[in-house]
Amino acid sequence: MKIALISDVHGNLEALEMVLRDIEKQGAEKVHFLGDVVGYGCNPNECVRLIDKHCEIKLLGNHDYAAMGLESTENFNQLARASMEWTQTTLKQKAIRVLADFEMDAVFLDYYLVHSSPTEPDKWRYILNIDQSRVHFENFSQAVCFVGHSHSPTYFEKDSTGQITQHCKPELAFNDGSRYIVNIGSVGQPRDNDPRACYVIVDTDNKKMNYRRIEYDILKTQEKMRKAKLPDFLIERLAVGA
Amino acid sequence: MPEIIIKYEDKIIERVVSEKKRISIGRTPDNDIVLDNRGVSRKHAQIEFNDNAAVIIDNESLNGTFVNNRKVGEEILRDGDEITIGKYNLTYNSQVQRDESGAHLDGTMVLKTKKQKELIKRDQYEKELVQQMGGSVLLGEENTDFSEYQIDQNVTTIGKAKFVHVHVKGFMLSGIQAKIVKEHDQYSIVNLGRKGKTKVNGEPISRQSLKNGDLIQVGKSVFTFVEGR
Repeated sequence: MKIALISDVHGNLEALEMVLRDIEKQGAEKVHFLGDVVGYGCNPNECVRLIDKHCEIKLLGNHDYAAMGLESTENFNQLARASMEWTQTTLKQKAIRVLADFEMDAVFLDYYLVHSSPTEPDKWRYILNIDQSRVHFENFSQAVCFVGHSHSPTYFEKDSTGQITQHCKPELAFNDGSRYIVNIGSVGQPRDNDPRACYVIVDTDNKKMNYRRIEYDILKTQEKMRKAKLPDFLIERLAVGA
Repeated sequence: MPEIIIKYEDKIIERVVSEKKRISIGRTPDNDIVLDNRGVSRKHAQIEFNDNAAVIIDNESLNGTFVNNRKVGEEILRDGDEITIGKYNLTYNSQVQRDESGAHLDGTMVLKTKKQKELIKRDQYEKELVQQMGGSVLLGEENTDFSEYQIDQNVTTIGKAKFVHVHVKGFMLSGIQAKIVKEHDQYSIVNLGRKGKTKVNGEPISRQSLKNGDLIQVGKSVFTFVEGR
């Protein structure tokens, strides 16, 4: 069975629509969402509706959590905070009611899904390097943990000897005996110097996965963000994927 | 002779019949009508009788005196008027309605009923609890996992999901059905999930500030909000 995993849409409707179209072309039977449907981008309500319609498992990210007023934006950087204030005033009650049913983490088959990290999911920790990954391998029991949050498509493999390695390859075949933490990248705001939308297709029968990179109309998104008077830096970063 | 019927949660706990020209109402025992509850000020209000008229005067109490749900400073009482003080409802009758209470003796008589003793005990318990927990508390009343929940964070989530602070029971509830937020030392409850599933004192709310003693219902679970001082 082919499963699509998407994360960090951040209100980018053009990117999400293109990704959903590609998922259909790829023949994925299910789509699971790993959090942060809102924040940064200018179509939070539309993105909430699409995610709700197309995804089976739906997780909360820190931006969704903050948009519902469940967390102060103290730990957000200045730009994230500015866009969050905009999101909070734009987000409709109907969208909040949809977000209220999202989960913090989920398990399907031998995969564990969470937005930030398996260690206290609501503390929103980042897993950026091997050192940081070490503790998180202790906090889930499944073979593979899929995360979003950092917007960087990368994965950590812990082999049977306990050694951890980090990779940034477009494909991955899961080795029996190894365990993995896989960051599936971001649909709406990639930060790995590739501006194309990023998501993952998992082939559960053949135990492998691959990253998909999808072009979308960045200029259109940027134009809409300018009209919404969102911070310039957030608009410009979409073109370079940083 | 005028009569005042004191009710708590629609149950009559006292009937007071008085020949006095002035009846004082308050929390401390030196009042004619003692309402021992933290929502009641020491010298909360008084009722004065003259020339066949009765006037209730609020002594600038903290939580106010209400006649027929309207906050009053000074108000002429009419037969059957409902006076609300703290958690109590007082009904004013210009004449004793039935001769069965046994309370109309000389001066004022306050009956210490079992119900009132329970109330006093409960109030004492709430005071101690708030002190012990160091802040505001939700008391679990019905269908709750715990008998008390500390509300010490800025946001307390309530719902059906595993990860919320206060887990509730009931059908068709959202994962995060509601949140209690603290803003400038004032607590408010906000419904986030499906409409109509969060109620305060029986009324569905979308957002409402909370007072001590408010009954919060989320799905089938019921809590009392006890405000820390």
